[in-house]
Amino acid sequence: MIEFAVEMSGVTKRYKHFTLDEIGLRLPTGSIMGFVGANGAGKSTTLRILMGLVHQDAGSVQVLGYSMPDQQAPAKVEIGFVSEDMRLYGSPTLGWHMNFVRSIYPRWDPAYADTLLRRFDLKAEQKVKGMSHGQRVKAALLLALARRPKLMVLDEPTTGLDPIARREVLGELMAVLADEERTVLFSSHNTLDVEQISDQITFIDRGRILKSSDKESFLDRWRRIRLVLPPESKLPGLPGVVNVRGSNRLPVVTTDQFEPAMVAAYQQIGVGVQSVDAMTLEEIFVASVESRREGSAQ
Amino acid sequence: MNWSMVRRLIWKDWYLNRAGILFSLTGGLVTLGLVAASRGSQIAVILGIIVVVTILIGMGAIVMASIVAERKQQTLPFVMSLPISYWEYTTAKILGSLLIFLVLWTAMLASMVATILLAPGFAHGLIPFVVIMSVEILMSTCLVITVGVATESQGWTVGAAQVGALSLNGIGWWIVRFPDIGRAMSSATVRWSSTATALLAAELAAIALMMAFTFFVQSRKKDFI
Amino acid sequence: MNSSIIISQSDGRPMYLQIMEQVRQKVAVGEWKPGETIPSIRALAVELQVSVITVKRAYLELEREGVIVTQHGKGSTVARDPDLGPRLYDQEFEDHLRQVVRIGMLLGLSEDEIAERLRATAMQLETEAS
Repeated sequence: MIEFAVEMSGVTKRYKHFTLDEIGLRLPTGSIMGFVGANGAGKSTTLRILMGLVHQDAGSVQVLGYSMPDQQAPAKVEIGFVSEDMRLYGSPTLGWHMNFVRSIYPRWDPAYADTLLRRFDLKAEQKVKGMSHGQRVKAALLLALARRPKLMVLDEPTTGLDPIARREVLGELMAVLADEERTVLFSSHNTLDVEQISDQITFIDRGRILKSSDKESFLDRWRRIRLVLPPESKLPGLPGVVNVRGSNRLPVVTTDQFEPAMVAAYQQIGVGVQSVDAMTLEEIFVASVESRREGSAQ
Repeated sequence: MNWSMVRRLIWKDWYLNRAGILFSLTGGLVTLGLVAASRGSQIAVILGIIVVVTILIGMGAIVMASIVAERKQQTLPFVMSLPISYWEYTTAKILGSLLIFLVLWTAMLASMVATILLAPGFAHGLIPFVVIMSVEILMSTCLVITVGVATESQGWTVGAAQVGALSLNGIGWWIVRFPDIGRAMSSATVRWSSTATALLAAELAAIALMMAFTFFVQSRKKDFI
Repeated sequence: MNSSIIISQSDGRPMYLQIMEQVRQKVAVGEWKPGETIPSIRALAVELQVSVITVKRAYLELEREGVIVTQHGKGSTVARDPDLGPRLYDQEFEDHLRQVVRIGMLLGLSEDEIAERLRATAMQLETEAS
């Protein structure tokens, strides 16, 4: 079993108005990675390069041990890919698509496919062109999931889905991981979903990877510290500060390298620590992006 | 090259375009049948040929639909998520369209030659001309396929279809001016000249070149989606 | 194997802490007995729709506390310590006490005031019980 289902390094792709700049990504086998970024940040392009559908200008891409894009044909036997802009053929039914996919992939599990039909509330006899957006997304997911691929690559799988459908989809994605040799990579700008089910999280903004780490490290290291400054004093510059907001007397410090010793350090110099708050993934993401954009603007 | 995937892709395209394919094939073959039944009455033959040629050009439209439609309907990501590379995709598109076209084309050529040889009132010398013109029709269809696959654009492909259709006339008149061809047309026996061979070879070479060019363009595409 | 553990997304505390608390409760109450096999990390993650890494962390901390034992490749079991139940109960009592004192201090109550409130509440509960 390969250690990393996905290894990208130095991947660059230049378009007229957008550049993907030295993207590096490592996804351990058996884990699930949430790929978070604003619209236009480069998530879709990165995933397409991963699938060999777009050729990178520079850098290496290894997926399940296959080099992309050259070995994309054998690689795709083991990869299930669903993207938000993917459409199935309009006039045939879902059942036709299921038979078509089944004839190609030996590991198609018909019992699981039926279960998914029920769980996703889909009918095999329904024509694709009559389906709502949510149904089409679920149909495409069914076609990918029922083959039991070793790697699932999903571009915004829950976008545009109602809460029930979202829960079903997240549940099925997690079920993939019951087998420790199967891996999931999904992009989303729904940070709640990412925060809940991801093992690894990667932030991307304007074509660059901001941070990539396991979820617990993110949640452990980021804190918002509310301070009370005595009058006529200034805030000391401690390391690991991402930004400072609030007022002069009541600053709020955001840090990405929190340690309990920080609290003691502040108190020792006479600064009152009112509270130390954990941050949601959304807050962490926004703070990261803002700090990077402000940094590059300087 | 994964031929089993190529077969499946061709079958998929045939299934999705089955109405148009069936219509063209039936229409074409029925017309040819009527022509045969009329035992070579000159008008029937001429009408028959016109209808078949129209259907052939219409087949070009089907070709365009199956190739350009993938990008327009955004089904390319789904197809390319299958275990294939551009090799299988391109081969399937070319072969799938060509095979259907060839059925009708072969029937048309065979029936024209048979009519000329068997029915009264047709100079056998027409045959070289008929063969060269038929291959010309094959060439313009290949042009439509090449442009369709390479550009995936409706505008360009329609343009290619028009160029092909118009050039039929032009090339026809141009070929007739070759003395070896023009004069041979009225002869009672088949007179296959070296000019005819040269023209035929040029057409076949053009077809081969177009196919190679298609694969070359596909291999250079860096953004398949 | 349904673990019947419920996780709340709106609970402010980290998910791994919620999982730890519920596992401790199950052991304390006797629902999960000493030596009994408990869901594997992956199975629990799938069931709760929570990342594997979160469950792994919870299990690691629980093992450090001596509540469970994880054997690589064989899964996890409740520790065989007979005193585990009552010890966990006591730990939970201690946790709640600290919580009460912390809130009391935020409200500005003194030690004596907190103790007084505690006594009053205990008496009230006794009256209600009888």
